[in-house]
Amino acid sequence: MVRGGRVSGWATGWATGWRTGWVACAAVFLVIGVLTGGGCTKKEAAKGDTYPVGLVFDVGGIGDKSFNDAAYAGLLRARDQLGIRFEYFEPGEGTDREAALRLLASGSSKIILGVGFLFTDDIETVAREYPEKLFACVDYTWTEGKQVPANLVGLKFREEEGSFLVGAIAGLVSQSGTVGFVGGMDIPLIHKFEAGYHAGVLSVRPDAKVIISYAGVTGDAFKNPAKGKELALAQIDAGADVIFHASGSTGLGVFEAVRARNKLAIGVDSDQSAVAPDHCLTSMVKQVDVAVFDAISRARDGTFAGGILSEGLKEGGVDYVFNEGNARWITPPIRARVEALRKEIVEGRVTVSSGR
Amino acid sequence: MTSLWHGPRGRWAKCFRKGRGGPAGDRAALRVPDRGLDASDQGRGLNAGLRATARNALILSAGPVVLSVGLGLLLAAVAVRALGTSPSEFYSRLFTGTLGSVYGFSQVLFKATPLLFTGLAVATAFRARLFNIGAEGQMVVGGFAMAWVGFAGPVLPIPLGLLLALAAGAFAGAAWGAIPGLIRARTGGSEVIVTIMLNFIAVALVNWLLVTRFALPETVRTAEVHASAWLPRFSDHVGALRGSPLNGALGLGILLAVVLHVVLGRTVFGFSLRVLGEGATQARYAGLPVGRLIVQAMLLSGALAGLAGSSFILGYKRYYEGDFSSGAGFTGIAVALLARNRPLFLIPSAIFFGVLSYGGLVVNSIVPRELLEVLQAVILLLFIVFDRLLQRLPLRPRWGQAPSGDPAVPATGETP
Amino acid sequence: MIGLATAFVAQVLRISVPYALAATGGAFSERGGVINIGLEGIILAGAFGTAAGTLATGSPWLGVLFGVGAGILIAALHAAITVGAKADQILSGLALNLLVLGGTRGLLRLLYDSSSNSPRFEGFAPLAYVARFTGDAAVPGGAAATGPGAPFEGLLLLVGHPLFLLGAGGIILAQVLLFGTGFGLSLRAAGDGPRALDGAGISVSRVRAAGVLLSGVFGGAAGAWLALEQHMFTDGMSGGRGYIALAAMIVGKWRPLAGATACLLFGAAEALQMRVPSGVIPTQFLQMLPYVVTILALAGWIGRSTAPARLGEPYDREEGR
Repeated sequence: MVRGGRVSGWATGWATGWRTGWVACAAVFLVIGVLTGGGCTKKEAAKGDTYPVGLVFDVGGIGDKSFNDAAYAGLLRARDQLGIRFEYFEPGEGTDREAALRLLASGSSKIILGVGFLFTDDIETVAREYPEKLFACVDYTWTEGKQVPANLVGLKFREEEGSFLVGAIAGLVSQSGTVGFVGGMDIPLIHKFEAGYHAGVLSVRPDAKVIISYAGVTGDAFKNPAKGKELALAQIDAGADVIFHASGSTGLGVFEAVRARNKLAIGVDSDQSAVAPDHCLTSMVKQVDVAVFDAISRARDGTFAGGILSEGLKEGGVDYVFNEGNARWITPPIRARVEALRKEIVEGRVTVSSGR
Repeated sequence: MTSLWHGPRGRWAKCFRKGRGGPAGDRAALRVPDRGLDASDQGRGLNAGLRATARNALILSAGPVVLSVGLGLLLAAVAVRALGTSPSEFYSRLFTGTLGSVYGFSQVLFKATPLLFTGLAVATAFRARLFNIGAEGQMVVGGFAMAWVGFAGPVLPIPLGLLLALAAGAFAGAAWGAIPGLIRARTGGSEVIVTIMLNFIAVALVNWLLVTRFALPETVRTAEVHASAWLPRFSDHVGALRGSPLNGALGLGILLAVVLHVVLGRTVFGFSLRVLGEGATQARYAGLPVGRLIVQAMLLSGALAGLAGSSFILGYKRYYEGDFSSGAGFTGIAVALLARNRPLFLIPSAIFFGVLSYGGLVVNSIVPRELLEVLQAVILLLFIVFDRLLQRLPLRPRWGQAPSGDPAVPATGETP
Repeated sequence: MIGLATAFVAQVLRISVPYALAATGGAFSERGGVINIGLEGIILAGAFGTAAGTLATGSPWLGVLFGVGAGILIAALHAAITVGAKADQILSGLALNLLVLGGTRGLLRLLYDSSSNSPRFEGFAPLAYVARFTGDAAVPGGAAATGPGAPFEGLLLLVGHPLFLLGAGGIILAQVLLFGTGFGLSLRAAGDGPRALDGAGISVSRVRAAGVLLSGVFGGAAGAWLALEQHMFTDGMSGGRGYIALAAMIVGKWRPLAGATACLLFGAAEALQMRVPSGVIPTQFLQMLPYVVTILALAGWIGRSTAPARLGEPYDREEGR
């Protein structure tokens, strides 16, 4: 065994590792500095006796340009119009959901909102423990015979109704007679979108072909744009020229696919025309922002009532987007046809099935 | 098959040289941990030189921990400052939120519980220098088995139901852990890669079972397990813990840590694992059944990881939910590392990571949660670097040939 | 029918590009004896660098440079820790993955005020000749049109993608570099018998560091591909591709071209999963395929994969091993 370095210069530095080790440390510091320095974030300043609100976001968090952003928009509007202050959490992992709700409940917040169906069990538990606080859960899962705590409102949407209308639009606009659906996670909540859309397409075009794909079976399926893009491209290859997505930020990939091939996509939750202005046929908007805003507003006014709040076309909880931007595709005859369908659903002459 | 273990070649022989008092003395000397020194050696009145070596050994084993954690927290303070928040507010929030109240500390312990199990799993395999990166997959498989036995199995009297569920979890985890063990023993295929691959397979497989067969409508979770299989939640008995998810799994984890302390430190099996860790060739010379030991180590490791889900599945939610593991299998590697693979040290190490994990939520309203994720990674990086650097100080034990590597940081990826 | 077949081929290629690039990167590192579990983090850093670079400069070419630079930065850390300080390679890789995952998330929030994605950027325009074959309708920016697409559109767009051509060329070059040059010989020696290399008067550490840095180049390029395909960075967008790349590298026996072939196999499984109607084969089983194939390869059931002899061992001349 040879002891001690005998090679000189640069190579020794590497070989002995002493110096390089410290260089490594220095480099680690540097990277950390870069990663964490850079900027400044400020949370909402708490001032006065404004009404305190707490909110916990779903997988994907702020900036998904879809579901979470809609909830955030409602929160911001409540701040601007109702003068509330808020605190929010973006939990990183499953067990954090309940802990985050609990932190808010034990703090000053008077109403606490959970955004996403995954919160259902957690928010029920916490609501029972803090009867003096109010709770709201967006996309609450309610099963037959379940008792909802009096201080909890479960906000549900009849997504199948809005999806039915965008399905009809897709069926009428499509030239190829083949349209697509890209779902996020393969779960009953998303099946509602699929079922409504499918029925809507067939209602105006019984011979149409609907290609259905799902991005996955875990929560990550809502944040996988690469998968969304490939799924949409596969559908386009198979002839689809209009694709509806219900997949959170995975849908951003669907928009990339229709951009690349000059086809049309239908957005979800929020008006997504800003994502791809020339390729967004319409969006199935789910008024999550309105629901969040209303829940906060009712809590502040003291008109809060627990239970289930189900909103569909009739209540304005879901809708499709029509404006100058997409009038080039949704021509007056198409619009008239879709409005007629809406009327039938609102008046209860047509019921849209929520399961496949 | 040549030995490709990057084991300290001389240490094995050196250990033999040290023991002079017949078989019993041999055993005492051979039980020597990382630095070739044991507390019991000190008690036997060694000379001053050896005592100095003992001090050096302490520096070598505790130094990297202190330095990396200290420097990591310092760096975090700098980063917090750069983010425009006062570091003192950050740390006071972090520590009062996690350690300053009974409830907060119980949340920390709850976070630490699965880490303790996965840390034990990693540490056990590490004894034999097997790198079990598959604790995550073993935990998922074990957790699902536990839940399945819990809700689909027979309703048994109180302790039996729980024992059956735990046994199911341990068994499934062990089976999952045995695969890389068998491949390693038979063909020498790297357990590192096999365990990584098995993590993905476990998640997909369990997900398929969940989605196609066992999920309740409109959810991604199974039915609740029978009450007979529940681990008690402490909040049911202690008022101050209202709402805390902390449960009996913590006690189970601590118990296992103590048991493993004995098994790894004072039994022939534990000793054999360590010999194996020193190098397969040496172990073979010593007449040990290398292949069988590898499989046994991975079985035990997998069983421990398989039990990691008990806190969530039998104590907290009492059902299986997709994504319940939240990376505990990977954090367990860091936990074992900082504890230097000693079962009892795993308890404080797991608590430390519990503080960082729950702390991320506590300080979420003043700094981004990502900061604490980065902090964990930084501490880990600093630790492995310092661990090597300190060994280059002129501190190492002076007898025989200098050990070249620390068992806590083995070189792995050895191949046939 | 032919249209569908070419569309399938195009999709397989698109999916395989990042895998193949990263697997090539992995081969460089591991041929030199350094395990690179940090590939996942390198890809993610590459994707973030590309997005940030393109958004800052407006040029996708500079963006790719930034992306590759970010990949090299992480690889350099890995080299400093494992080759310089001789610390454990697996732990370093795992820690770097964590660091990049948390770090890019933090940067996403700081720079773009989002916890999920960066703003969109335009990226490369397909090379001009594509339009000649497909007409305007297939070129992004052209008028949105419904109706069936032009035949071979997917394949043509891919062949017109500058990064695709560069990447394919790079992998072939990598094969040549590893097996046809003196440097390649040194690198392989650093992994198989560093002592001999040292004896020949070549610094093992430098050669190994070079191998790790090259893995940063290719891993960073894989990330650049992902970001350019999505026209943005999204949180955690590497999505386990680093691990699939490691798998492909093993199945390809640490050779770039063979590894790329394995990537095509994995890509085909993934593309199939998107096209097979649900219910025929559970998607989860197709997802598992790459991992199962890798384990079978390691277990020796489908062509034995043998790693470089000294993979994972720090080279310390004092100890002479």
